[in-house]
Amino acid sequence: MIQFLRSFGGRSLDRMASLGRATIMWFTALAGLPGPGDLRLLVRQIYHVGVLSLIIIVLSAFSIGAVIALQFHTQLARFGAEDSVGLGLALVLLRELGPVVTGLLFAGRAGSAITAEIGLMKTTEQLSSMEMMGVDPLRRIVAPRLWAGVISMPLLTAIFNVVAIYGGLVVAVEWLGGDPGGFWSGMQDAVELWHDVGKGMLKSVVFAVVVTWIAVFQGYDTEPTAEGIGLATTRTVVASSVMVLAIDFLLTLSMYGEFN
Amino acid sequence: MNGADDNLIEIRNLSFVRGDRVIFDDLSLSVPRGKITAIMGPSGTGKTTLLRIIGGQVRPDSGVVLIDGQDVCGMSRRELFELRKDMGMLFQSSALFTDLNVFENVAFPLRVHTDLPEDTVRDLVLMKLNAVGLRGARDLMPSQLSGGMSRRVALARAVALDPNLLMYDEPFTGQDPIAMGVLLSLIESLNDSLKTTSLVVSHDIHETISIADQIYLIADGTIMGSGTPDTLAVDDSPRVHQFMHGSPDGPVPFHYPADEFLYDVLGDVNA
Repeated sequence: MIQFLRSFGGRSLDRMASLGRATIMWFTALAGLPGPGDLRLLVRQIYHVGVLSLIIIVLSAFSIGAVIALQFHTQLARFGAEDSVGLGLALVLLRELGPVVTGLLFAGRAGSAITAEIGLMKTTEQLSSMEMMGVDPLRRIVAPRLWAGVISMPLLTAIFNVVAIYGGLVVAVEWLGGDPGGFWSGMQDAVELWHDVGKGMLKSVVFAVVVTWIAVFQGYDTEPTAEGIGLATTRTVVASSVMVLAIDFLLTLSMYGEFN
Repeated sequence: MNGADDNLIEIRNLSFVRGDRVIFDDLSLSVPRGKITAIMGPSGTGKTTLLRIIGGQVRPDSGVVLIDGQDVCGMSRRELFELRKDMGMLFQSSALFTDLNVFENVAFPLRVHTDLPEDTVRDLVLMKLNAVGLRGARDLMPSQLSGGMSRRVALARAVALDPNLLMYDEPFTGQDPIAMGVLLSLIESLNDSLKTTSLVVSHDIHETISIADQIYLIADGTIMGSGTPDTLAVDDSPRVHQFMHGSPDGPVPFHYPADEFLYDVLGDVNA
């Protein structure tokens, strides 16, 4: 029992300490940007974490949109309400699935890559040698990746939503023969700019901050061994996914809950 | 001994504890300007840690580390980064940036710390690469270099800004005899031509003796011997003698502390 309490306390202290280190890293990295010379680094990172994530985002978005439209259509057709497919699809995507699925995919595709890259740089002493050259790795390595993630993910979310709606359109209208006018007008009537689009994007900004923060911190704080990098990469994906889902629940509650 | 002004680095009463292990216990030493000073000792005695303390990457528990009269331990993050522009360090793993080619690796400190025009950067980089004999390898990526070559590129990068202080962390480890000879002559010639102060951390006795002006032997957190290579070679204190002559057993035991061998193998036969 005492043993258990001791290890529990020890682990809690470790957690608190790493939370502290993460916060310090966050502020140091944010303070380090943006200077004019850093713009090139930032663009390069946006390419790496944003542009290169496009393929998986577009493919997933199309198939998710198509599947949702298919399910909605078959159910709603029983009540003769096929025209509401566009409306339901848009709301579910803009409010929930767009930001959440993009967050999860981003954690798996870009977050893990960021962690592994920074972790390997640490393991091969590249971060140390940079420090000894008088260059702060928090500014040079961590900050551009942090900002690139925060900039890219909301854009990816927007692209996800558009492609998913198109996927839904292809299934519900082109394939199942729904009425295109009903599809679009239902969406137009129900979707509000701030309440649906804006709040969805706000969610995605929050997820972007959380996911990239976890990714860079896990990389920067990794134990400098091969095993350490593996663990850190896993932790990035697991922790980001859990955080995205948990935060999404809280945000949904406060944005769309009844007491609002 | 030297007057205080002749020393670039002055370490006084340094203590450093990591976990339960005492790495340094009240250690004092000085590194004279313009000379090659070697710090030697068995593996695991914290030689690399000492370099990291001098570079301000690790803070000691107590003691003073003066570089040019400034205390490293009391510096802010910003002051440290300023100070490090005047230092070059050669890492054991070379630590080249794997996403940049040889030319860009050497150009990195110049591009970050100076506003020199591209022509000048190019000339400087080629000069540094020429000094280590790798001007022709400028377009290779670090993954295409042999161990000896990547260490030479790292050396060219470390001297790119003509630092006052050059620190070498185990420069000879894992090098073939030819690469070793090249490195030895490079360390000497760079020290003379750039008028820098060099600090070499190593456990390779013969190589280090051949270039060092002054040697400190470290073990168990303290200095167990110091002097010129000649005086240390004839030092008859048992620990210095064991290290300098590479005897397998002596004051530093061959065996890691363990139970009696017979007992370990046969178990408690009396039970």
